[in-house]
Amino acid sequence: MAVCTIYTSTQSLNSRCSLYTPTKTHLGFNQRQVVFYSKRSSSSSKRGSSSVITCSAGDSQTIVIGLAADSGCGKSTFMRRLTSVFGGAAEPPKGGNPDSNTLISDTTTVICLDDYHSLDRTGRKVNGVTALDPRANNFDLMYEQVKAIKDGVAVDKPIYNHVTGLLDPPELIKPPKILVIEGLHPMYDERVRDLLDFSIYLDISNEVKFAWKIQRDMAERGHSLESIKASIEARKPDFDAYIDPQKQHADAVIEVLPTQLIPDDNEGKVLRVKLIMKEGVKHFSPVYLFDEGSTISWIPCGRKLTCSYPGIKFAYGPDTYFGHEVSVLEMDGQFDRLDELIYVESHLSNISTKFYGEVTQQMLKHADFPGSNNGTGLFQTIVGLKIRDLYEQLISTKEAAPVEATKA
Amino acid sequence: MATVAGLNLLTPRVFSRAIDSPKAQSVKSPLLKSPWKMPTRFGNGRVYMQPLRAAPESISEKVEKSIKEAEQACQGDPASGECVAAWDEVEELSAAASHARDKKKDSDPLETYCKDNPETDECRTYED
Repeated sequence: MAVCTIYTSTQSLNSRCSLYTPTKTHLGFNQRQVVFYSKRSSSSSKRGSSSVITCSAGDSQTIVIGLAADSGCGKSTFMRRLTSVFGGAAEPPKGGNPDSNTLISDTTTVICLDDYHSLDRTGRKVNGVTALDPRANNFDLMYEQVKAIKDGVAVDKPIYNHVTGLLDPPELIKPPKILVIEGLHPMYDERVRDLLDFSIYLDISNEVKFAWKIQRDMAERGHSLESIKASIEARKPDFDAYIDPQKQHADAVIEVLPTQLIPDDNEGKVLRVKLIMKEGVKHFSPVYLFDEGSTISWIPCGRKLTCSYPGIKFAYGPDTYFGHEVSVLEMDGQFDRLDELIYVESHLSNISTKFYGEVTQQMLKHADFPGSNNGTGLFQTIVGLKIRDLYEQLISTKEAAPVEATKA
Repeated sequence: MATVAGLNLLTPRVFSRAIDSPKAQSVKSPLLKSPWKMPTRFGNGRVYMQPLRAAPESISEKVEKSIKEAEQACQGDPASGECVAAWDEVEELSAAASHARDKKKDSDPLETYCKDNPETDECRTYED
């Protein structure tokens, strides 16, 4: 709480600022700098030196993570796992719009990119475009605001109200340590993409998407197998054109497929999940199984570990993905007992845990979340840990940077 | 002080949206737990409470209505923008309904209320 590493570049240049101030105060301070910057000539004498102003506007201080996936593909669950790894519960802004899509925790702010819809529900209906269509989204504003937050400047972000389908009055988003932008298009616009320190794409196969939406919607009045199918099929052309291509830009892709352990299974209960990790991404070293870079097939169930039907199967190896070198870790099947999960965790390397069993602990903590007994939960948790690690590395390089500068 | 903080949630601007809002439901719940406070602290609170209670229902109704509209819009040309946009609306509302259910499931109304209004009488905690 007390360590405000993110703003150290500001602090190091301003000796009057103590190194250990509470985060909140610091955010407030940062805020004020922003105001000063815009009215630099008139009010810079009021407080702080010009060096404070310059560095607050010039340094990137917030780390930005992008999470892309279609609606109903597990973004919310992933966000809950991710913010849990960072510590502290993420909650909607206090006292704000009850239909706000934003989640805030001590370290992290999650914003939903639907808030950048340029056409509201009626507008889309009139123009015959879906929310997946770039024409329904304001990428200029998205870029400007994400860039501003990354530079330490608070913004008034619109709110898209998913209940009414209208754009509500904006809410103030202050620069957090970690900003997550989740939605349909975090990697669509090149300018926004370039702001991302890390990006994830949740790639749900058609079979699984259908099974998940049945689970989600069948109890809803008015829905039927036909309506669920019709909705998926109607949206598919736009999905294929605008959402799916983003996965080639992602640093990590979580691919969810039907199991191969049960012949002709299409229930969607047992899943085969792949974690595709790009090689050569700064501050991100892919997870591996047994021997980094080798190709491995592993069935943990045997003499040491007994698994129930249909068992668990892992695969690991190098591959290429849209022309990029990647490492792929795959899990088919599900965990039925705790010792299976611990056994698997102890055989994975480079998972960036801080103590033995941290993955298992996180999975147990959220046993009620969907996917906590299979590869989706396992890989989401691992990606969360990798992002925490990436964040800590980025912060430590930023701490080191001003020292380097003074030496030179 | 407490009164001001409590009423704050029911300002007209917020209320107009809250009719359809599943999340706004949390506002009324603590009052149900302590109805004796209502007449004095939330003078006309009862008027607001009916629509708020109906919130999750209203999303369900919207889902149902949107499906009917989509089916109609697609009778002519299933590949038309009109048809596709209508099914997209169904997806959006179905996702919103699902999120509302999740939120309702894991929220204790009193806890939710006290998070926003820690200074109110209902939310006081005592240490000896």
